[in-house]
Amino acid sequence: MSTDPPTPPAVLDVAALTVSYATRRGRVSALREVGFSIQTGETLALVGESGSGKSTVALAVMGLLGPEATTHGGTMLFNGQDLRRLTPGQKQALRGDRISIVFQDPFTSLNPGLPIGLQVAEPLIFHRAMSEAAALDKAVEALAEVGLPHPRELVRAYPHQLSGGMQQRALIATALICDPALVILDEPTTALDVTVEAQILDLLDELRRRRGLSMLFITHNLGLVNRICDTVCVLYAGSVIEYGPTAQVLSAPAHPYTMGLLTSMPRLDPVHRRTRLIPIAGKFPDLTQLPTGCIFHPRCAHAEAACRENAQTMAPVAADHAVRCWKSVAINAAQETMAPLQRAAVPPRVSVQQGELLLELKGLRKIYPLSTRLTRARLGIPGTRASIPWFRLERPEVRAIDGVSLSIGSGETLGLVGESGCGKSTLGRCVVRLLEPSSGSVLFRGRDISRADRKQLRTFRGLAQIVFQNPISSLNPRKTVGAAIDRSLANFSGLAREGALARRTEILEQVGLAGNYADRFPHQLSGGERQRVGIARAIATGPKFIVCDEPVSALDVSVQATVLNLLSDLRDQLGLSYLFISHDLSVVAHIADRIAVMYAGTICEEGPTDAVLAPPYHPYTATLLSAIPSPDPTVARNVRIRPRIDGVAGKVPMRGCVYHHRCPRTLGKMCEETPPPIVQAAPGHWIACHLPLAELEAMPAVLPIRVSDGLQSPAGGHASAAVVHSGTAPE
Amino acid sequence: MGFYVAKRVATIGVILVIISGLIFVITQGLPGSVARMIAGQFATPDVIAAIEQRLHLNDPLFTQYWRWASGILSGDLGQSLIMERPIGPMLREALANSALLATISIVLLTLVGVSLGIVAAIKHNSMLDHGISVFTFLGISVPEFFWGIVLILVFAGYLHWLPSGGAGNLSAGWGAWASHLVLPAATLTFALIAHVSRMTRSSMLETLRSPYVLFARAKGLPERVVLVRHALRNALLPTITVLAIDIGLLIGGVVVVETVFSYPGLGRLLIFAIERHDLPLIQASILVIAAIYCFANLVADLLYAYFNPKIRYGGTRS
Repeated sequence: MSTDPPTPPAVLDVAALTVSYATRRGRVSALREVGFSIQTGETLALVGESGSGKSTVALAVMGLLGPEATTHGGTMLFNGQDLRRLTPGQKQALRGDRISIVFQDPFTSLNPGLPIGLQVAEPLIFHRAMSEAAALDKAVEALAEVGLPHPRELVRAYPHQLSGGMQQRALIATALICDPALVILDEPTTALDVTVEAQILDLLDELRRRRGLSMLFITHNLGLVNRICDTVCVLYAGSVIEYGPTAQVLSAPAHPYTMGLLTSMPRLDPVHRRTRLIPIAGKFPDLTQLPTGCIFHPRCAHAEAACRENAQTMAPVAADHAVRCWKSVAINAAQETMAPLQRAAVPPRVSVQQGELLLELKGLRKIYPLSTRLTRARLGIPGTRASIPWFRLERPEVRAIDGVSLSIGSGETLGLVGESGCGKSTLGRCVVRLLEPSSGSVLFRGRDISRADRKQLRTFRGLAQIVFQNPISSLNPRKTVGAAIDRSLANFSGLAREGALARRTEILEQVGLAGNYADRFPHQLSGGERQRVGIARAIATGPKFIVCDEPVSALDVSVQATVLNLLSDLRDQLGLSYLFISHDLSVVAHIADRIAVMYAGTICEEGPTDAVLAPPYHPYTATLLSAIPSPDPTVARNVRIRPRIDGVAGKVPMRGCVYHHRCPRTLGKMCEETPPPIVQAAPGHWIACHLPLAELEAMPAVLPIRVSDGLQSPAGGHASAAVVHSGTAPE
Repeated sequence: MGFYVAKRVATIGVILVIISGLIFVITQGLPGSVARMIAGQFATPDVIAAIEQRLHLNDPLFTQYWRWASGILSGDLGQSLIMERPIGPMLREALANSALLATISIVLLTLVGVSLGIVAAIKHNSMLDHGISVFTFLGISVPEFFWGIVLILVFAGYLHWLPSGGAGNLSAGWGAWASHLVLPAATLTFALIAHVSRMTRSSMLETLRSPYVLFARAKGLPERVVLVRHALRNALLPTITVLAIDIGLLIGGVVVVETVFSYPGLGRLLIFAIERHDLPLIQASILVIAAIYCFANLVADLLYAYFNPKIRYGGTRS
């Protein structure tokens, strides 16, 4: 990299950057000798899990590190000028002008009390000394450039009037308004729904091409990296451990950590879908006490004595591709021969056929009435055009679940997938009667739970449990792990004290926690451990059925893999049925036998996993699928299907098909006025759509198929059908 | 917005009707007899009966309430039984005095409290922050009458800088007029300032840690703009709520402080009325205080809407 003399100076050249934070537990080593460079027009991905230091890099470059941070050394050359040597005033002049940033969460990055226009225009007012009026005119242009409709009206709008996707577009417009040389994107789509994420990525891609932007793209999602980045820099616990071109790093990762990230990711591709995830062993290191030698050695399967003793340095493995691992070549050679073996070692799980019916939902509805409001109305006078102004009382309602019928067999996993606000969590709660449905019935072993008396409900609570998304807020902070499990046992197991204690240890072992965890409090556990406790608490009652409500969404990818594996194992050992709720189709496809796709309170498609992931699709399913970026550089996404407008939560059509206003294939009047028929595409595969089945079947397959792997695909017939379409589909 | 204000004013009307009923019933239930207070300890039953007859004290309760309430609606607050003067002008004068004192105190409370809170937040965990913390807590942890007496002792008794009580007259010059207000206003403010400064400090700290303030800094805005436009504006929302509650507390404080400083305001009038069992005067004073409290809260809510567009434009995100 530095040996090529003719290369022009990099936009950003970071070398040996070392940063630490002072905390109560001691000094946290956030970054150690971090180095990377970004050329003009290049997009560099900074990849890592939480604690890797990727956001610290962003704040260091912006000159926004807090007073608790100390920079110990290194240089940050921006167009040849060391950012570390600038005065605070010079840094302020660069920020928002030459270097700008977009943060993770659009919902909190905009000031709720100021109109959008002013917030977008502010950099021009201060860096270009523009008048407010002139800057606002420019803001209108900037909002239009990022694809926001009605920019003139938006200038006067307030953040809460915009959807998340629109807010993120406004933030991008702010970052670009002074035409910066470098844009830092810190997890810009993590807080957004996947279809909105895809639209934001399209926008970034287009802006990058049109303006020749240089971008530092910070993310934990390797799919996004593959979709948008030229170069990858992998951070682990504050050190760069691998650095190289995206295609190379993702297809031939050289560091065991990068390999681990890839093998622990659930993927949609038919080949990977059913194979067991291979998580990264061990725990993320304590940044106040780093391991000696290679920082990754405590978690590395290939570690030997030399790894424990010698600190590692970056060494090239190929052109422009460097890795911080002396055994990299040997490991890679071994991996080549082992990979197929590993895949074969764990045979893909055979889908459970729906046997005995365990749970059945019939026409379930949950309606929340909103407070009555007075609205202006006009009463027409019959026979004339005249009307009299009048007020009428309006009683609006939110249909969280609007007529859902589903069934789950014993031992079966039904995946429920949908975007935020679609009603999937409400459904999960209605199923275990944590919420009372407005109408419809929930039959568990043929008995209607919504009409169960206290005694029946108690029996049901023992048999049906729930695991929540956020383990820290669903565990009582004042109770130990043991106490949480004891409570379930005391209520439902009927065991005496001694028996309960033994059972508790057994349960903790089942979820992979040692017995001494019983005395710990939730705040003393890591995220993955907490979720194990949540699962332990659920299985302690001896259930047959568990609602898993986004159980892995709050976890890092390597931890997510261990929890997913644990859930699969428990299902097989204990003969459990799951209703597995997630916004992440890859996760659902990995674990579920059947999938139901939910949109705005209704089920738009339901069927066996392989059938739902291949044509015929519901148009919404196709949109969801095509929005998910694959981390595999050898396959390209065949089709890109985008919804027509940004999803605005709460604005759901009250008539016709709930998806018609976003549907790229809408038939117009029919979709707007008549609710869609539910068509059986194949046995057990149902699609709620007005489009003729033949047309749905003719839709191009979204999932990529590698020709070399195509024949081994467990998806069988669907996969071979998909091969025909691959490559021919329009962009 | 107009609809919202109309709805709130209508609600206040309903609340005042209920309060007036409550006041009337409760004051009727007070021990002791007005007639006996007027006639004196040694009056004969005939005299007392005559007074009761004259004041319609034997009418049914509802008739008495109706007479009183309809009088208020037509602007007649009735006659003070003890002083035998119309209540209206008396109350107006006392109210003007108290309003002056309260307004000065609230302005001081807002300016000083918010400033101290901002300084404490910006310099948090510094000696200055701790100093402000100790100073304001001294005010809130000891009752008003204590600091009132301390101030009188120091500034009136020892230093002779300021008068110890009473109200000044404008005819005696601005200085003399204002000098009577300094100590009572300072006492009232000091007692409440911790609420305002602590709330401003903590909400300012929270706002300074928010992503939108970080983003404002990332835009390269001058620190002054970051603090005032992006942080303070949002940080003031909880402070406004506290100020509205403090107006209620201030009314209680005014009663105490006016007594300590012999200041001729609503509070002292109310104490006087209670001591003498002057029912119409008690009822009118309490009703006026309730009305002030209701409208103070309305003003706070309107200010809240002004600062928070989510309320102004209705519709929050789910």
